[in-house]
Amino acid sequence: MLGLAAGAAGSALLRPAPLRATAAPRLLPPVAEADALIAFGHTGPITDGGWTAAHNQGVLAVRQAFPRLRTVYVESIPYSADATRIFRQFVAEGAQMVIATSNYGDFIRDVSDRAPEVAFMECDGHTVTGNLGWHYITHWYASYIIGIAAGLMTRTNRIGFVGSFPIPSVYAGANAVLLGARAVNPAVSLQAISINAWFDPQAATQAGTALAENGCDFLCGIMDEPAYLRVAQQRGIKAAMWNTDMRQYGPDAYVSSVMLDFRAFYVEQVRRRLAGTWRAAPCFLPLGHGVDRDTWGSSVPPDIARQADAMRARILGGYNPFQGPIRDAAGRVRVPAGATMDDDHIYQWDWAVEGVSGLD
Amino acid sequence: MIALLTGMLATAVLAGGVLALAALGEVLAERVGVTNLGVEGLMSLGAVVAIITVVATPNPWLGLLAATVAGAAGGMVFACAAVIMRANQVLCGLAVTFMGLGLSATIGHDYAGMPSPATFGHVAIPILSALPIVGPAVFAQNLLVYLIYLVLPAAAHWVMFHTRHGLNMRAVGENPAAADAAGIAVTSMRFWYVTLGAGLAGAAGGYLTLTYVPVWSEGLIAGRGWIALALVIFAGYRPFAATLSGLLFGLITALSFVGQARNWPIAPAILNMLPYLGTIAFIIVPVVVWHRIRRVMAAPAALGVPYHRDIR
Repeated sequence: MLGLAAGAAGSALLRPAPLRATAAPRLLPPVAEADALIAFGHTGPITDGGWTAAHNQGVLAVRQAFPRLRTVYVESIPYSADATRIFRQFVAEGAQMVIATSNYGDFIRDVSDRAPEVAFMECDGHTVTGNLGWHYITHWYASYIIGIAAGLMTRTNRIGFVGSFPIPSVYAGANAVLLGARAVNPAVSLQAISINAWFDPQAATQAGTALAENGCDFLCGIMDEPAYLRVAQQRGIKAAMWNTDMRQYGPDAYVSSVMLDFRAFYVEQVRRRLAGTWRAAPCFLPLGHGVDRDTWGSSVPPDIARQADAMRARILGGYNPFQGPIRDAAGRVRVPAGATMDDDHIYQWDWAVEGVSGLD
Repeated sequence: MIALLTGMLATAVLAGGVLALAALGEVLAERVGVTNLGVEGLMSLGAVVAIITVVATPNPWLGLLAATVAGAAGGMVFACAAVIMRANQVLCGLAVTFMGLGLSATIGHDYAGMPSPATFGHVAIPILSALPIVGPAVFAQNLLVYLIYLVLPAAAHWVMFHTRHGLNMRAVGENPAAADAAGIAVTSMRFWYVTLGAGLAGAAGGYLTLTYVPVWSEGLIAGRGWIALALVIFAGYRPFAATLSGLLFGLITALSFVGQARNWPIAPAILNMLPYLGTIAFIIVPVVVWHRIRRVMAAPAALGVPYHRDIR
């Protein structure tokens, strides 16, 4: 009731779980398209204009690609035993594949372990069993590219970040923006505010206002709605968003967005399930295939867009910008020179880099 | 420092207005002895109806009117059950909250995420808006700010404490049996003030989507309706105190964000707790501190008790 609706990038629980398979995945028998039922469990309403809306595009793509199969979805599933009940209901209705669009942890595991003939997928999940896999977007590369634009565009050298909870996705998002910005402008620092919600336009407005009043002239964050973009528009500063193209809410302030696109991924997973070739596996959606920066906003100078896109091209070519030495907020070297942070490592990032304040 | 105070106060005035309006409405209902726990749902209903109206006709005043009417209509449903049928007020209120949240999600489904095409603009009052700190925060806001913090509470205060009608109204909340014996129409008094209060709750929702957060999405109210209920107790069921506690609460909320933005050495989790700690304090303070002046700050004696003439 009190604005704790969770959404964008998963639950608030930290867990040092093994990301990789602990049991050998097995193949499930193929399913005829006309007999198939694919169930989606959403964390928010499909009209949120953000995280769940992006996943719903994936549902629509599945329907379009396989017009004869049936899909069902349930919106706004809470992180509680109610989730278990809903997933169990999917199984009881005869679903051959259940896709949860957020991390439900043990609530989904309870069901998947007892329904070995059903394929389960969990977005932002952390465990892999014989019939339960997880998928997530490597949003940190898009954030890094946007960070380069931020570092070049800020005049005050202060970036504001509206986050939800101090969890790995938020650490990765804020850290990536700052590292990108510092790559081109070492004087930049980032101030984060946690508002304890993925979706609370009032709180996000207040957080954005407070950041702007404290000298931040570039706002970014991970929110399911565009409130802080409106703040930026009103105050004549810049903002970068998450999930979807939100430029209509602040055309002058809009820089870009960490754009999500699950369409091709979900269609492919369903295709494999129907063909009997689906295996439970961990899967990162790479830059350019599920996550990317959005087309640059009209107020982004072309040379800045070019500079940021040059990094995008390098990352697409296989470059990893998360290279040591990376220090944490206390100044300790956490990633030594010569080492790089791979996706598994970044996925579980739970400390703020030097220059990021407000998260520890 | 000046900029900080100005910003905080401006945010507090805007954010507090929503709570002030809803709390004022609840004061009206509780003064005649009816606890309306449906505020959260009624605010949600008002918020979505305001957006739907301005999408159809881009006039924010019409939007606010429609939000008020929607809130009042929801209040009538509640009043029919809780006042006329004399059902349990707590259960009816919760039902209205669920009804309001569900109904607004349903009718707002196609409007979610759509920015409000018309909002109340800021109007700077000459001379006054040039004052330091309070100028930009108070005298350069939308016009509704004066309605919420001045006109409405003044009107409510005057009616409640300076008219015969107000005396009757309070009598209904304190001792409906005696009021009934004195010839006051208890049921209709309760019915209409509950409806009016619900209308203000709807208006509070409309105010939110027409000024501060100009977009509809499910879960927009995010518990502000419940906080408004706590403010009524803190304010001792008085109109001006209710609106001022809304402002105070707005300040506490603003403080938690300013604290994080300025990197105060307080854990963000604690700063984020401030509004809710504030809510608890707002409930406890009246019990502990107001104790000495209980006579003036106490709840109406018949609050929450349905009135049955036949078993009095």
